[in-house]
Amino acid sequence: MARTLRWGVGLLLIVSLSIGAFLLLPFRAWLPGGTVADIPLSQVVNGTAFNRLFPEPEKGDQLVFTQEKRGFSEARLKHGGQVKALLAISDVTTTPEARSKFEASERRLQGWPLVEQGQQATAVLVADRFQVKVIGQGDGLEAEQRQALIGQFNLRGLAALKGESASRAALPTGEQPTGNLSAMEPAP
Amino acid sequence: MSTVLERLDRLPRRNLTVLAIKGLSTLVPGGWHNITSADELIGDVLGSKDPDLIRQVRARADALSQARHEGYGRALSLYDAVNRSQKAAGGLRLLANIGGALPLVKRVANLTPTSETLQAADLSLKVAAEMLAFTQVNGLPGDSFGDFAAALNDYAGEARVRMAALICFDALLPLGDQALQRLDGLLGGVGKRDLHQLPAYAGLASMLPGRGDEAHLTFLRRGVDQWLGWAGAFSHQLGLTGQKAVQALESTLGPWQGGFKQMATFLDAFTDTYQHTGVQAVARRLVERAAAEI
Repeated sequence: MARTLRWGVGLLLIVSLSIGAFLLLPFRAWLPGGTVADIPLSQVVNGTAFNRLFPEPEKGDQLVFTQEKRGFSEARLKHGGQVKALLAISDVTTTPEARSKFEASERRLQGWPLVEQGQQATAVLVADRFQVKVIGQGDGLEAEQRQALIGQFNLRGLAALKGESASRAALPTGEQPTGNLSAMEPAP
Repeated sequence: MSTVLERLDRLPRRNLTVLAIKGLSTLVPGGWHNITSADELIGDVLGSKDPDLIRQVRARADALSQARHEGYGRALSLYDAVNRSQKAAGGLRLLANIGGALPLVKRVANLTPTSETLQAADLSLKVAAEMLAFTQVNGLPGDSFGDFAAALNDYAGEARVRMAALICFDALLPLGDQALQRLDGLLGGVGKRDLHQLPAYAGLASMLPGRGDEAHLTFLRRGVDQWLGWAGAFSHQLGLTGQKAVQALESTLGPWQGGFKQMATFLDAFTDTYQHTGVQAVARRLVERAAAEI
């Protein structure tokens, strides 16, 4: 009797511990569905790396960063309080369909394929990995203005990010190397 | 769980909440447009009516809002938690108002939290939820604190009507015209017990940084300090007062006979201002991202 009781108590303890662990410990992060397309965050370049590649605003204009996530950074170009355009850099690792639209593109900007989407959006795919997009807001921008804006991004610095992220993927640690990038960037 | 855009599509086009915001928006230059259609919002951001593009943006936005790490869904659950607690507290105070007139239920009136301290704590929770939601939706934009402050200001400028509603409905009406100046002192008097009386606290506690009530109180006070500077300048610029808010609300809701505090109670109990404008604000940011990523 005592023996079955011991077994019973032991089993009860194990079951309650495992249930408690599943409910209380942060296992949710391991479950699928946490990230877009279930691609691990470490494979996506952090948006922080994109921020300094945005164009310098011209006189009278203002560049306000609005969103920064893994694989994405967005800023608004404002003029006197009015939003002129949305500028964004995104990592297309999580959006393969975004990459495929460039395949048919004949046009090039600094050697990278360029695509117009609708009346107000222009996009360039850099190094087959990073999409740079300008969307005209408010009164809108001409296609030439949007392309000029894209040209003002540091596209070469952006292309260099790809090599960095590849070497990082080879490293066992998921830590972010910072600061060593400026060496890879061409002098302005 | 429904996605952000589905919730946007389900927002009411005309009800008490919409009327209250419409009324208040007459005080804010630029006004307010009640966006309740995701396709319209996408077309507006993208500057194009191409159905194929709109469909792509929508699919991307849904994928983003379903991913837990992206924070859009979490921001909405923050707004939901605050809204639930606001309704519960408003309902209680409404009961107390009615109960106060009936001798048998007068006890209820004595039990319900009506003190200004609690009201101040409630406002600070809303401000904290707003900041947490901001970081959930937008991350920490820019490389410096200056960039982050600029992003916050930009967001607040976009959500002017939302902020005006927060200032009027949760500060000026229940706490009087000097609410923003008094808030610091009132919050100083908030103790752990007061905090636990707020239904919203239970929902938000796990998301507030720091462990324990003391740390949370410190976070709330500092968060409100940050916000007060901005809110003070904003309400000064628009000349917001309780009187003006009630007049603006009367333009859409009809004449109001009661006092300011009753108005605040009524709004708390019967409108979802905070949640309604919250869904619209999150949806806009989400669509801006999805449009840039497709």
